[in-house]
Amino acid sequence: MSATAASAPRRRDTGTVRAIETTVLVIVGVILAIATVNDVGRQVQNNHRLIADLRTWRQYTGHDYRNISIDSETLGLDSEREILCGNTTPGPPGARTQVCLAIWGPTVNGVRTVHAGWYLPPRVEDLRVHRYGCFGSGLRGMCAR
Amino acid sequence: MSVAAPSERGVAHVRSERWVPALATLLALLLVAAAAEVVIDGSAGLSPLIPKSPQIAGWLSGVGERLGYRVFLIALLVSSGAYLGLIVIAGRSGRVADGADGAEPRYVGGVVSKRWAIALVAALQLIVFAGPILISTDVFSYIAYARMAVEHGLNPYTHGPIAIHHDPIFRYVGRDWDRVATAYGPLYTLLSYPLAPLGVVGALWGMKLEALLASAGTLALTWRCARARGLDPVLAILVLGANPLYALYALGGAHNDLIMMLAMMAAVSLMVVGTPSRRREAGAAMWVVAGALIKATVAVLLPFMILSKRSLAPVLGAAAAVALGAVIGYAAFGIHGIDVVAALNRDAAFVSSDSFATEIAHLLGKPGVFPVDHDLLKAALVLIIVHLLWRTWRGYDWVAASGWALLAISVTSTWLLAWYILWPLPLAVVTRDRRLLVATLCVQALFVIHQTSPLLAPVQ
Repeated sequence: MSATAASAPRRRDTGTVRAIETTVLVIVGVILAIATVNDVGRQVQNNHRLIADLRTWRQYTGHDYRNISIDSETLGLDSEREILCGNTTPGPPGARTQVCLAIWGPTVNGVRTVHAGWYLPPRVEDLRVHRYGCFGSGLRGMCAR
Repeated sequence: MSVAAPSERGVAHVRSERWVPALATLLALLLVAAAAEVVIDGSAGLSPLIPKSPQIAGWLSGVGERLGYRVFLIALLVSSGAYLGLIVIAGRSGRVADGADGAEPRYVGGVVSKRWAIALVAALQLIVFAGPILISTDVFSYIAYARMAVEHGLNPYTHGPIAIHHDPIFRYVGRDWDRVATAYGPLYTLLSYPLAPLGVVGALWGMKLEALLASAGTLALTWRCARARGLDPVLAILVLGANPLYALYALGGAHNDLIMMLAMMAAVSLMVVGTPSRRREAGAAMWVVAGALIKATVAVLLPFMILSKRSLAPVLGAAAAVALGAVIGYAAFGIHGIDVVAALNRDAAFVSSDSFATEIAHLLGKPGVFPVDHDLLKAALVLIIVHLLWRTWRGYDWVAASGWALLAISVTSTWLLAWYILWPLPLAVVTRDRRLLVATLCVQALFVIHQTSPLLAPVQ
């Protein structure tokens, strides 16, 4: 068999492999694109919820502060329940007595429901041992005092 | 801008309408304006996109406003669109002439001239170089590791920057990394030593200059490799140098990935430019090892290089470089300095919200990536690499195979950052398999799209 004749089946093989590879690449690309778009939608939904949470905190406390911390993990990741903490008087983040609100439920008129809350002394983390002046009934056992 | 006359025989005919040069100029101006906007607004400080840093671009600080997500993302989207338009124009008009009497094909120009492309890429690089550190705190970790060793006599492979919490650099190190020992190769750590005594600002400028020079070197080598392979070198440097992720994220953050890419392209250049020889093959393998001693990922090129040549020279070159690197690494840092596997295993466990693994986990209704997913992703990566090795054995271009391997590493990684999806780009522009370039740019486009949620629902 001549070299040219021998290389013909090899070229056909390479062409088939290339076609399979391209198909796999397109499928993977479509999956990655769907996952990306889905994740953007998920983030946008989360952001809308957080916007409602921030508005709720500001409306509830009457303070139009910008630096409010949002904790989405303590009450369960993906539970759509958040704890928002912010200063009670103007100052750097966490430098004053803070008021924390536990917020969940549907967004109605741009705000959600405050189910419970507590105060924190300045410059401490939001740990059970530091919480005092608890109010609301949504979270029994969240406060030490 | 120049429009070349179609005077050579065998040149593919390209119709350049009168509006194409004007459109290319407009797109280039958009790229420059978007980069300038980010740099000028970034210089104003107090931005979530600008890490806490000494004032190194204070002379620009009075010009712009604080850089917010909205402006940054609009700039990123505008520059991504302009970039795509520009490379489509350059790709359609760039022409490669058939070589006479079997000589190598030769690039003869197109709508986008060589001088114009170089000027655009240089302008983008210099604008970003003049500005503050963008987006990432990594460069402060690089400086901290260097200062730990040079100024404090500590081993950066056994201590995190917290060990020098009294040092002026510490306040700039990212909080997530202050207890993490360096994962970079010993060659990179040693390269950063001369910058340590320069103080924080001096070292920062040193790092920025290092990144700029590495970028310039990578672009020059990419040009040479593209020309040697009969590909359009203008398109090659536009695709790489005008890439918004390359300019804003990699160069903007002064990432050492640029130095790794320089070593990678030095290796490729030795293999594809000039007359092949055993000496060049050995030298290329040594460059790959040098790159891996900066950042380990680039080592993935070595098996493809060896398999394509099927000669002893690259094996011997790599072995000599590994031995030399091991001796130097051990002498400087002890066993931890050469324990690359431990560093890779540690980093492989990290998870970022931008990784495709996390996105797919969310798509499947899971809160995130689980330990079993890491194993599945590693298995998928091994399968892809084995397939690519088989293809290389059967005659597939080893440069393209290496590019696919780097792309697969970034896509299957649970810790994905913008500068990781740049790794395959220089290889993609010097290979004839255009699927690699398309796939790399698609992955980058998905990454950019994933950043856009603050634009759609801004949290204030």
